[in-house]
Amino acid sequence: MSSHPTPAASLEALYEGNHGWLHQWLRRRLGCGDDAADLAQDTFVRVLRKPEELPGIREPRAYLATIARGLLNDLWRRRSLEAAWLEAMAALPAQAAPSPEEQVAMWQALQALDHMLGGLAPKAREVFVLSQLEGLGYAQIAARVGLSERTIKRYMAEGFERCLSLMD
Amino acid sequence: MVPRQPSAPLDPGVIRQAARWLALLHSGSAGPQDHDACRRWRQADAAHEQAWQKAERLSRQFGAVPPALGVPILARQARVNRRGAMKTLALLGATVSAGWLGYRHAPWPDWTADYRTATGESRDLLLDDGSKLALNTGTALDVRYSTDERLIRLQHGEIYVRTAPDGSGRARPFLVQTPQGRLRALGTRFVVSQLGGAQAATHLEVLEHRVEITPQAGGRPLILEAGQQAWFTADGVQAPRPAAPPAAAEAGDAPGWTRGVLYADRTRLGDFLEELSRYRSGVIRCDPAVAGLRLSGAFQLADTDRVLDIVAQTLAVRVVRRTPYWVTVLPRAG
Repeated sequence: MSSHPTPAASLEALYEGNHGWLHQWLRRRLGCGDDAADLAQDTFVRVLRKPEELPGIREPRAYLATIARGLLNDLWRRRSLEAAWLEAMAALPAQAAPSPEEQVAMWQALQALDHMLGGLAPKAREVFVLSQLEGLGYAQIAARVGLSERTIKRYMAEGFERCLSLMD
Repeated sequence: MVPRQPSAPLDPGVIRQAARWLALLHSGSAGPQDHDACRRWRQADAAHEQAWQKAERLSRQFGAVPPALGVPILARQARVNRRGAMKTLALLGATVSAGWLGYRHAPWPDWTADYRTATGESRDLLLDDGSKLALNTGTALDVRYSTDERLIRLQHGEIYVRTAPDGSGRARPFLVQTPQGRLRALGTRFVVSQLGGAQAATHLEVLEHRVEITPQAGGRPLILEAGQQAWFTADGVQAPRPAAPPAAAEAGDAPGWTRGVLYADRTRLGDFLEELSRYRSGVIRCDPAVAGLRLSGAFQLADTDRVLDIVAQTLAVRVVRRTPYWVTVLPRAG
C-alpha cells in the first residue's frame, strides 16, 4: 500500500544517533530519569507510527524535540489533572462523595474535557466551564469574571469550536 | 440513514457554524425564534445534524461531572507558568500543599476566604464580640475585626447576621462589605445576600431595627427599617419594598434556611427551583411550560432529591435526571 521503503533502517539510525541526546534533553526538563526514559521511548514510538514522515526528516533533533515537547505537555497536563482531582475530591463534603462507579465516569469525562479545553486561554477556559458546568448565562458570567458579554460570547464560540473539532 | 461514515471529518466551516449556534443558545437570553432558527439550520444539511450530535455528546460529558468538582479542576490555572510554580513549590517545602491549593484556585477568591460553605452546606459562626453569623449554601466571607470597626467582607453567598453590642467599650460599628457597597448595622438582625447573579447586586432584608446602605460608587446612604428589603448595586439603591410576608413558621424569626428548611407560599415553580438549585451541585432546568405553577410547603434542604420527588408528586410535572447533577423539570407526559 505504501510506496515508502521500509523505515526500519533509518529509524534505527535515528534511534542510535539521538536517543541518548533526547533522554538528556527530557531529563533536564523533567528532573527525573525514569520519566525521561519513558517519554524518550514514547517519542520514538510516535515516530514509528508515522513511517511516511521518516524520509523527509531534515533536522532529526528538532523533529524529535517537537514530538517530545508535545508529550511533555501531555504529561504535565495529566499530572496537574490528577493533582486537581485529588484536591477537589478531598474538598467535597462527605455527603456529596460520589460512588466508585460515578467516580470512574467522572474521571473519564474529566480527562476528555481537560484534553479538549487544554488549548484555550485560561480566562476562556474559565468562562466555558462556568457556562457548561454551572449553567450560568453570559450576563452572570460577565459579572463574575469582569468581562463584557460580547467577550463571553466570543470565548464560548471559540470553546465550542475547539471541542467539536477535537471530538472524534 | 446519514450517508456518511461516523468518523468522516466534519468540514471546519460547519463546525464553526455549529459553535456559533451553541454560543447563542447557551447565552441565557436566546428566545424561541433562536431555537427555531437553529433547528432549521440543523435540518438543512446532514453535516449540520452530525455536528449537532457531537455537541450533544459534549453536553453529556459535562453532565457527568458535578460542578463542585469540575469547576476547580477544569478551570485550574496549573498549566500557566507551571515551571515557575514548580520552583516556587520546591522552595516552599513544608507549606507545599497550601501554596499549591492557593495557586491553583487563584481565579476563585473564595478559596482563600476565612470561612466558606460548599453547595448544600450551612454553618454558624460565633464571632469574638458575641455576634452571630449563619452562612447559607455556597458562601465565602472574611472576618476583619480591628480597633475601629467590626468588618465582615461577604465575597458571595448569603448570611444571616445577629449583632451583639460591642463589649470592647469602643462601640465599634458593625459593617458588612460586599462588592456593591457597605452596610452599617444600626440594630441587630438582618440578612444579606450577594449571589453574583445577572445584576451583580446585593440584597438586604432587615428583620429588626435598621441598617444603613452606602453603595460602593458613593451616593447618599439610605436607611432600611425592619420589615423592609432592597436590592442595591455599586451605583445606587432600589426603592425599598416591604419584605415578602414570611411563611407563618418564620414570622419575625431567622430565615428558614438557618434551620435547614425552605418555605414556599404559593411560590412559582420556576422561582422555587432556582432557589432549590442553590442547595445542590449541578443544574436544575425548568421547562417554561410549568414554571408558572405554584406550590406551598416546608421542604427539608438536607435532601434536595427528596424535595424534587415531592414536587413531582404534588404538581403535574416529571423530574428527569440525566445525571445526578443535571435535572430537568418537564410537564408530565400525556
